[in-house]
Amino acid sequence: MKYLVTDDSKLARRVLMKALLPYTDEQHIYQASNGLEALQQTLKERPDIVFLDLTMPEMDGYTALPKLLKIKPDIKVVVISADVQEQAKEKVLALGAKFHIAKPINSEKLKEILESLQNE
Amino acid sequence: MNNDILTEDERDVLQELMNIAYGGATAVIAEMLEAFASLSIPNIQVMSVDELLKTFEALKSTSYFFSTQAFNGEFSGESAFFINEESANNLAKHLELEDRDDLNDAILELTNVLTSSLTTKLAKELETEVGFSLPSISKVPLSEINDVQTFKIYSKVIVIDTELNFQDQQINGKIFILTKDESIQWLKIKLNNILDDLM
Ligand SMILES: [Mg+2]
Repeated sequence: MKYLVTDDSKLARRVLMKALLPYTDEQHIYQASNGLEALQQTLKERPDIVFLDLTMPEMDGYTALPKLLKIKPDIKVVVISADVQEQAKEKVLALGAKFHIAKPINSEKLKEILESLQNE
Repeated sequence: MNNDILTEDERDVLQELMNIAYGGATAVIAEMLEAFASLSIPNIQVMSVDELLKTFEALKSTSYFFSTQAFNGEFSGESAFFINEESANNLAKHLELEDRDDLNDAILELTNVLTSSLTTKLAKELETEVGFSLPSISKVPLSEINDVQTFKIYSKVIVIDTELNFQDQQINGKIFILTKDESIQWLKIKLNNILDDLM
């Protein structure tokens, strides 16, 4: 399983990567700091699961999401954002995200999501 | 202090809504920084930008990291997060940050999470939706706070002032949520609707 962690904040990426380490080796976790980099990493590394922030420079999460799915239709996108509004949630789910979770992610929430993605 | 813009009842309702919004934000910050955190009960005031700048001047530290993030919609404005140099250094130590870039990054993300979680919760209580811009950061000596251009677009602002404390870490910051003039009118209507429902 390959993971791509997308967030413009290094701290946010660090928090998520730490939570991911019980599930995989560090070499299977890739990073991107905006939507554009996420697209490039997806072309190159073909990750299975992408964690995607919404508010980012260059290309935000809303714009990147459909493009990610076009590049790799079976990719599973999990949006992690501090924007917890219904509107944001509905929008990303309509765009094809599997989950929309509130920042910051913790190990319990992550466990739930990974299990649920595995059972699909 | 001129608080005429909001009546006492209106301010009470807003205070109550902010308290609800803050409940969740504390937990979010504590989790993010892996430390026990608390936010003081928000203090709500209406003031002119000049008065606001005087409040900043009274913060008694030579230099501040200062980051802002705009939010927009029917309820629109800007949040400003202040953290003094000493606290910023303690934050860097606590998070084992390597350099100044990492510290800027951490402060920006803290601002982002605080602003988003507070304003989205408040917006929910007010039955509206808000959008966010990217946060930005600068380090300003307190002597130059008057030159901070970002506040000049406001005339009267509702200032929601709170302090963020980490008990063991000696990290504290101040958050101001500034609302645009046109939002104040909108807010008054909303608050009165809520008041009517309570009667
Ligand atoms: Mg972001």
